[in-house]
Amino acid sequence: MDGTLTSFIAALRNAEVRVSTAETLDALSAVGLVGYDDRELLKNTLSLMLPKTVDEKETFADTFDRFFAFEDVDGALDAGDPGGDGQGDGDAGTGAGGGEDAPGAGAGNRKSKNAFLAAATKEEGEEELGHGEMPPPRSALGELLMLDGRVALTVRMVEVAKAVNLEQIQVFTQKGLYTRRIMDEMGLPHLQREINELRMRGGLPERRLSQELSKRRERLREQVRDYVERQFLLHADATGRRLREELLRKVKLSNVEHRNFRLIQEIVFKMAKKLVALYSRRKKVFRRGHLDLPRTLRGNMGYDGNIFDLKWKSVKVDRPKVFAICDVSGSVANYARFMLMFLYSLEEVMPKVRSFAFSSDLAEVTELFERNGIEDAIAKTLRDYGGGSTDYGQAFEDFRHKCLDDVDNRTTIIILGDARNNYGDPRTEILKEMYDRAKRVLWLNPEPRATWNVGDAEMRRYVAHVHQAEECNSLLHLERFVGNLLRTVQ
Amino acid sequence: MVSGTRLPIVLPKPGASVNLASFPATQGHRVAESAVNIERVTESVEALKAEFEAHRYICSDQIATAVYLAYHLRKPVLIEGPPGVGKTELGKTAATIFGLPLIRLQCYEGLDEAKAIYEWKYGKQLLYTQVLKETLEEVLQGARGFAESVSRLHEFGDIFFSEAFLEPRPLLKALREEQGCVLLIDEVDKSDHEFESLLLELLSDFQVSIPEIGTVKARREPPMVFLTSNNTREISDALKRRCIHLYIPFPDTDLEQRIIHARVPEIPPRLRRQLVTFIQELRDLDLKKVPAISETIDWARTLLLLHTENLDPQLVRDTLNVILKFQEDIDNVDVEVPVLTNKAVKS
Repeated sequence: MDGTLTSFIAALRNAEVRVSTAETLDALSAVGLVGYDDRELLKNTLSLMLPKTVDEKETFADTFDRFFAFEDVDGALDAGDPGGDGQGDGDAGTGAGGGEDAPGAGAGNRKSKNAFLAAATKEEGEEELGHGEMPPPRSALGELLMLDGRVALTVRMVEVAKAVNLEQIQVFTQKGLYTRRIMDEMGLPHLQREINELRMRGGLPERRLSQELSKRRERLREQVRDYVERQFLLHADATGRRLREELLRKVKLSNVEHRNFRLIQEIVFKMAKKLVALYSRRKKVFRRGHLDLPRTLRGNMGYDGNIFDLKWKSVKVDRPKVFAICDVSGSVANYARFMLMFLYSLEEVMPKVRSFAFSSDLAEVTELFERNGIEDAIAKTLRDYGGGSTDYGQAFEDFRHKCLDDVDNRTTIIILGDARNNYGDPRTEILKEMYDRAKRVLWLNPEPRATWNVGDAEMRRYVAHVHQAEECNSLLHLERFVGNLLRTVQ
Repeated sequence: MVSGTRLPIVLPKPGASVNLASFPATQGHRVAESAVNIERVTESVEALKAEFEAHRYICSDQIATAVYLAYHLRKPVLIEGPPGVGKTELGKTAATIFGLPLIRLQCYEGLDEAKAIYEWKYGKQLLYTQVLKETLEEVLQGARGFAESVSRLHEFGDIFFSEAFLEPRPLLKALREEQGCVLLIDEVDKSDHEFESLLLELLSDFQVSIPEIGTVKARREPPMVFLTSNNTREISDALKRRCIHLYIPFPDTDLEQRIIHARVPEIPPRLRRQLVTFIQELRDLDLKKVPAISETIDWARTLLLLHTENLDPQLVRDTLNVILKFQEDIDNVDVEVPVLTNKAVKS
């Protein structure tokens, strides 16, 4: 059963629950304690040992139900197995019915066997009519099919699935392929041949058998397809998704199709979470002037109380103040969307983000983001301020007018734009003023570096007055950039 | 200090090492019969659950399973959940059930090893240094030259950094309990990251390292550790990995009724049903601080005190400040009170 647990953990990992090796071992010892008998207890136990956040617990519950649903059927049939062998104790019972395997009780035996059959397979309507002699099937699969307990069949199916590496299924288009492979491996060709031969030979019992076999074959196919589907959901769904995410990270943000927005947003949140985890530690800065007496005494006990290694009180550094100025005119709007999304997902490490949007006139949208969800706020920003023709000069003028006074030496200003100013006055002197006041001014340009100075772009002039100018047009760039930002401002 | 006093302390014999085990544990022996009892209680999850219920702590299967696993696997339990769902209470009740002393460490920002694990008794050390100065002459009598004096002093060992000068704090105390104990590390999310790292050694190996002395291991029985967190920040993966992770959500109607029944048994069943339904409805609203179980209990007691038999809107309005802790919330709910009360009464 340890194998079952490890493959369950593999499925969990696939569903993005992080399970370490140590936790796997812990889970094993816990399961050793509670056993596999009580499903509810097992679920409780594993959900205490494996998932470590509330979200993960939900994912866990889903995965558990899906994964062990199959095992459950298996178990029930296991109990019912003696019935298949002709003991006829009815459905999945414990065999307390009363010793019907005594040789004399033939009729009763048969009756209860039929009841079991009906209960187990649930679609025996037609078969009742043509009941009669049938020759025993010759192919292995045929024998299995005619055996009434489904257990042997199920066991065989699982074995075969393992043999054809069903666990490595990756994308949904492979489902048909794997279904067929499993059927073939189980001996479908032989069975097919047998069915055909039986039909050709034409005797009533043979035809009956042929009909019965093909009926059961269809049922098996259904079952295999179900199984493959479940395994796909467990093992592959996330893999395919990861592939897609990987691609989306690299794709140019302006090319992202609308239907992928939701996924992108999830990726952004995930990236942001990673950065939050990385940078949520606040560093201490040591300030001379305040002696930390207890710590000094303690630190110097090793020198027999001679105080020569002084300890100072430390203060925690303020988190960075970030001003984001985004060009939301047509050409850059899509980038602005994702950058704002990113900045606001980082709330935990960057609580003081003020954002401004402009195409010609600049306006502060911070409040919009406070009151609405990120998605709504972005949509509203783009609706209200986007679309005009760009005028950087005007935007800078507005910025100076509105809040240059708030910029201090702890502020980082991020400007997102392509610097295409429609041949207007670039007003570089305002940018210089910002540069002088702020801790850092960063410029993100979605265009590739080669085109920065082509046509009406004023990048060359602006670059002189920023600390750093970067090309930024995919999530990967964005992540790298924000990571750098956090590293330097802390 | 009068000069010339005889040295009042006994210096350890030269070369003698300080033996940790020789220091007395603070706890007396547990009675044998309670051990039998504990065996019975921890036999199965159901038995444990029943025992918790007997101690008026109504728990879900999940909670009982967590304690069961914690007891048998000797793993710490990290309990998360909104405030007021009984996280701390679980630790306390477990201590009562297992008949173990409870050692509690309340975390806060700035908590460090000096307050959590151990501290040297500086006052005593300084005092003894003074006293020692007086007798230095005696010790060094007959020593010729600097080298001999130093080597003679060396023989006395680091007595100032020995057990006698050690002030144990909760974590160290917990390790040194002879019969084991329940260690409750409350609101671990309030502490700093540094402190979390300090805990790692304790949680995985039940030991702490004191640089001057060495590693202190748990006595025969390692403590049962419960950590609680209110989710004000993410606990690090390293810590989570070492723990059984238990999330206690708000209870459903049925469970909450049983909790109220256990805690405020005097309250009539009808009123109990009404007030629990009301609270459950309240939790669905958009509130700054959602009422927790502790608030429900407080409210139940309040209503009992007022000899209430049925909820009515006026009464609810008057007692709303028991369950809601923000004026903003009270104002918001005020409008809804008649509807909610109506629903609760009809339930």
